Amino acid sequence: MITAYAGGVEMITRPSRTAPGVDQPLAASLRAENISVRFGGLAAISEVTLALERGHILGLIGPNGAGKTTLVNCLTGFQAPTHGRVLLADAPTLGWTAEHFRRAGVARTFQAGRLFKALSVVENIEVTGAGLGLSRRRARSLALELLAWLKLDDKAETLAGALAYTDERRVGIARALLLGPAFLLLDEPAAGMSDAESDELSSLVKAIPKTFECGVLLIEHNMRMVMDTCEMIHVLDSGRTIAEGTPAQIQKNKAVIASYLGGEGEKQLEIMEEGH
Amino acid sequence: MIETPSGRLLRGLLPPVLVMLGVAILTVIAVQLGGDDLSLTITETLIRLTVVVGLSIFVGNSGIVSFGHIGFMCIGAYVAAWATCNPMWKQLMLTGLPTMLQENQYPFLVAVAGGGILAAFVGLILGAAILRLSGIAASIATFAFLAIVNNVYSNWDTVTAATSSIIGIPVEVDPYMALAFALCAIAIAFWFKDTRMGLMLRASRDDGVAARASGVSILKVRLVAFVLSAFVVGVGGTLWAQFLGVLTVDMFYLPMTFMTLAMLIVGGMGSVTGAVVGTIAVTVFVQLFRAMEGGVTVGATTFALPQGTQEIALGIAMALILIFLPAGLTRSRELRLRRQRAATGDTGLGAPASLGS
Repeated sequence: MITAYAGGVEMITRPSRTAPGVDQPLAASLRAENISVRFGGLAAISEVTLALERGHILGLIGPNGAGKTTLVNCLTGFQAPTHGRVLLADAPTLGWTAEHFRRAGVARTFQAGRLFKALSVVENIEVTGAGLGLSRRRARSLALELLAWLKLDDKAETLAGALAYTDERRVGIARALLLGPAFLLLDEPAAGMSDAESDELSSLVKAIPKTFECGVLLIEHNMRMVMDTCEMIHVLDSGRTIAEGTPAQIQKNKAVIASYLGGEGEKQLEIMEEGH
Repeated sequence: MIETPSGRLLRGLLPPVLVMLGVAILTVIAVQLGGDDLSLTITETLIRLTVVVGLSIFVGNSGIVSFGHIGFMCIGAYVAAWATCNPMWKQLMLTGLPTMLQENQYPFLVAVAGGGILAAFVGLILGAAILRLSGIAASIATFAFLAIVNNVYSNWDTVTAATSSIIGIPVEVDPYMALAFALCAIAIAFWFKDTRMGLMLRASRDDGVAARASGVSILKVRLVAFVLSAFVVGVGGTLWAQFLGVLTVDMFYLPMTFMTLAMLIVGGMGSVTGAVVGTIAVTVFVQLFRAMEGGVTVGATTFALPQGTQEIALGIAMALILIFLPAGLTRSRELRLRRQRAATGDTGLGAPASLGS
């Protein structure tokens, strides 16, 4: 842990990213190369190519059912692509399990939070440390450090099942961040949050690449947050890539606007508003 | 609210110490007050407690109900019989046993360790095969295991004497001996729950997908708990054999399986305290109804409940508990002293104020 003294108050500026006995994930990139996933006759995603680099935030947007979560499942070992490859540091990951991906430095969160409800907040985060091979004592001290960084240390002993859902999302992120993964994939972390809450989340997400030197993939429906947080945006519709570019380019992209027009009217309005 | 490490250690040690003290004190009082009959009941209860706590090491932490653990108890019990019976009887009846076992008679603790180890070994092989399954599929596979053990031991004439009784096992287990083993089982269960393996297993019980995303190999952590749990239940089996002095295969089948599971469910599957409370509560309940079936004399008349009332009443009580207290009498929490922690919004049961910092 690196600490700095600001006005006499000890602040944690960077939680530990290494521990004895755990390899520091060094992969520089995580790529989906031309991947397709079929469930029976239904194509969830088709020929999608996408690259994540350390230190950068990539947004992944698209209407409901566009295949965003399926893509994240492929990138984290929860779903094997029917065709194509997932490459970590340019090496194929064929046959890797989800836990294998996590140990190699690819971490994710879930739409529904999926906290371990009967465990305390600090134990939820300790589980990752244990999964990566740390002793409980070491895992606990790293978890407390991370909670302090997220300003959640007062909730350390609360049962995860009793948390408010904004805190729930942050604990989910903390669980993924323990020991500084190389890549963090966030699946709709701001769903159901108010503007103020998602602004706060947005500044947290923006701090992650610098603090942990990791690459972030952000799936989000809240366009304001996506445009504000991401450097590049990848757009999926019906399982296919329809655009990739900076937030400014995406907002003007005809195909993107059309895809949202074809979908829900509200989404289209959001885009139009954000364009001004 | 940051605790000192020693405060945390004390708070962690408090539940096991309280539960073990409670069991020990209850045993001592009951043995001192009761006669020989009660002393037998107490020994039996403490052996069951060992088995139920052993079962909870797997069931409580993994969330998978096992119908197969009484198979491990059977395996342990027969090892005790093989090890301790009179060599002349073994050479006559159990001709299929290895010569080493046929010709020798081993001491109590060797039999106990042997039973535990064989049960653990079988648990390792079985677990590696079936623990990929989750939920009800895994439970059904454990049930199949119980049926297999029962069939093998009912038919393997030269090794298990098939369905005939094995007699003449030296009786070694008295209440205090059983108490010692029950306390060990409780200590092991509390210890395991807090190890990193135990933590990962509890995480996988709450959410398997999220546990995998945290780097947890579910099969591995389940297997560790399954083997440890089989060991403790196997030891319980050796105690059972050396308490009764007589064995038949059918002791270790459905009635025993449902009784031990009932104890675990009534007390609360998710906690060691629940296993202990459930065992005691169900035993007291069953004993009361047995006494009433036997007849209660009031004045000149004797009232007796019809035979079988006890089983029916236990079934009704279990249904009521599942409806009104699905997490059991203890709500699957460990025993702790209450502390006001309103400031932190803590909803769990805290430690006494004197132990925090």
